Order: sequence, then structure tokens, then C-alpha cells
Amino acid sequence: MNTIKSPFSRNILKINDLESLCNMIVGNIQDSVLRILHRRGGVVGISGGIDSSVTLALTIRALGNKNVLGVIMPDADSSPESELFAQKLADKFNIKTILENVTPALEGFNCYQRRDEAISRVIPEFNPNTDKAKIVIQQNMNEDIPPVFSVVVITSDGKEMSRMLPAKEYLQIVAATNFKQRSRMSMLYYHAERLHYAVIGTANKHEVDQGFFVKYGDGGVDIMPIGKLYKTQIYQLAEYLDIPQEIINRTPTTDTYSAKQTQVEFFFQMPYELLDLVDYGWENDYEPTEVALILGKKEREIRNMYKNLERKAKTTDYLRMHPVFFE
Amino acid sequence: MKTEIEILQGIRRYITTSASMNNNELDDNMLIFNLGLLDSMGLLFLIDFIKEEYNLEVMDSELVEENFESVKNIASFVYKKLQNEINS
Repeated sequence: MNTIKSPFSRNILKINDLESLCNMIVGNIQDSVLRILHRRGGVVGISGGIDSSVTLALTIRALGNKNVLGVIMPDADSSPESELFAQKLADKFNIKTILENVTPALEGFNCYQRRDEAISRVIPEFNPNTDKAKIVIQQNMNEDIPPVFSVVVITSDGKEMSRMLPAKEYLQIVAATNFKQRSRMSMLYYHAERLHYAVIGTANKHEVDQGFFVKYGDGGVDIMPIGKLYKTQIYQLAEYLDIPQEIINRTPTTDTYSAKQTQVEFFFQMPYELLDLVDYGWENDYEPTEVALILGKKEREIRNMYKNLERKAKTTDYLRMHPVFFE
Repeated sequence: MKTEIEILQGIRRYITTSASMNNNELDDNMLIFNLGLLDSMGLLFLIDFIKEEYNLEVMDSELVEENFESVKNIASFVYKKLQNEINS
């Protein structure tokens, strides 16, 4: 059967019937948690960000506020805002929360020390006690070359130093910071198992498809209710679910490095509104010329964005793979 | 200093080994990133290789197609950079 594709437009991802979508997700959560996984509730790690807030609200609709536990898991690098917003959200929806500071666990893993040691090898002036650091992605969208990462150190007097990361240091920094998501995963499963609940994941479509998650970290969950939703659709749902406005207005950050780091500068490389539309265009085989015209971009730019999405999806296949079993 | 041909052979050997390819499967003009022979980690390891093998530091501003899209372009980039080092 031939299906006719709608012409590409800026509104192509707009959800017209939020109630139906909401009911469908709620039904899926009930089905998977209660009937497939045979658990009696859900545990959600809440960070005060938009994705975990929407996931929490949907889970509460599905399982009832008495059967949902919100776990707030800051560490030494988290913004105090995160805990504040997470608590505000939990209060609004009247659910039980537990605060679990994961800093001591991370110190036990030498997470900070291993990360800072790699940063210091690239920027010897870095003082972990007084300076802040983050890594940022660097890519010229006009060039068909994969991105590289730079480490940025911001000294206490505001001076900024940035250097490209060699493979060894990049891998060590990522491996060390991944202790954070894996420690949080362990904590979520502790609470889920003691309550006979499921762990509800908070990843969105871009994070899942492009591999912006940690294998057996934030990717280690039982279900992913918003894993098929574009970010702009999650914002639409957030309004519908009455998520506090401060959370909706907050810039999505990784909350992983000591210096404030947006998800755009760390990984996605373009604003969500644009990323959503380009991703949709790529996945649904819209010609780059058509997408470029609507978005006011050059065709080459859209082509490179398509390639960038394809490359990220391909190179992160490993993250989505299950263990390989031999016959 | 190595000749451009020697550098090209060195880069070829490195890429065929990294991408698990046979020598005859790799054309010097193939777009190595576009075709997915190397990914972003592959690029970082290649930069390491250039540093170890030719003692050259690649700057982020040099990460452009003209310098990195194929074996031929990488070899030419490395050769020119080595020549510049000698002349400076």
C-alpha cells in the first residue's frame, strides 16, 4: 500500500490530541509494569529536569501516587536547583521521595579523582578544588568529519581554558563520569527491589536513538515511557500534565560536570526545535532540499545534519545492544 | 623526512588495520568517514596515530574534509605539515 507523506512543515511534530497520547502511554505503563513485569509500582529518578518530570507525571497517572517513589540523587557536581525542583515536583504530585546523595559512593569509586587526573593531563593548570570543568563537543556542521571533544576549564576568577581531548583522556573522563549514572542505577534498583517496583526510565527519543545515555547506567531501566517522543513533544506533554513552569523553562543540562553544561553543547549540537525537525526529516526520508527550504538552512547543512544523525545512531549501536549469546 | 608515498602507505596500513579491511578493499580516494570506515573514536585514534608516528599535533581547526576525508587527503595533510615543520 502506498502512503502519502505530508509535506514537511515546522508543525509536523505537533501533537493535536494530547489526551489520547497521554492515555496511550499510561495504558502502556500499566500493561508493562503490572502485567508483563509483574511489579506493583514504579521508581523514578527525578532530577528536576523536563524528561524525568514528565515521566513521573505519566507514571503517577498509570500507577497511582501511592505506588510511585521519586528518588532524588544529587552528587557533588549537581546544581542545587535540581534537588529543589525535583522536590517541588514531588510535592505537587503528592508522592513519597527519598534523597540519596551519591557523592560518597562516587568517592569510593574514585570517580572524581580519575576524571580530574585525566583533565589535568590535558590542562596542567587545572585545580579541581577551585576550578570548574566540562567537556564540549566540537564540530563544524559544514564539514563531513565526525565531532571531537574539548575540555573546558573555568578558573575561580572566570578565566576559560579549552583544549581538544586526545583519545586516552577523553575515554578516561567519560568512563569516570559514567560512574555517576551507574551508581544512580544501582540506587534505583535497590529501592525498586525492596518495594517490588519497576525502574521507570526517563530517556527521550534523541537520547535513545543517538546514544546519549550510559549503558547499564541511565539506560539500565525496565521501561522507557517517553523513549519514542521528540523533545518538543515532551514540552507539549509537560504543559498538558501541568509540570511546574520553572522546570519547563529550565535549560536542559547534563548536571554531570562541575561547570554548567547544556545538553546541546555536550552532545546534540543544535537546539531541540531544530534537532526534532531534522531528525524527523531524516527518519522519514524527506529530501534535504525540502527540509532546508522550510527551516531556512542550506541544503548542504541539512545533508550534514542527516549524516551526523546517521553516524551517531550507528556508532552508538553498542549501547543499545544486549549481551551477545552464542548458540 | 618520509616521502608522501611512504606516508600514504603508513596511513593506509593504519586505516585498513583499524577498519579490519583487506588492503585491496581500500581506495586512497574513498571517503573514510562518509562511508563509516572510521567513526568519531576512529578519528581520535587516528589523531593519536599521527602524533605518535609523525610527531605532529593536529589542531581542531585542521579537522576539515580537505585534510581528513580520504587516505590521500590525510597523507597530503601530514606531508605538508611535516614540510612546514622543517621549514619553520
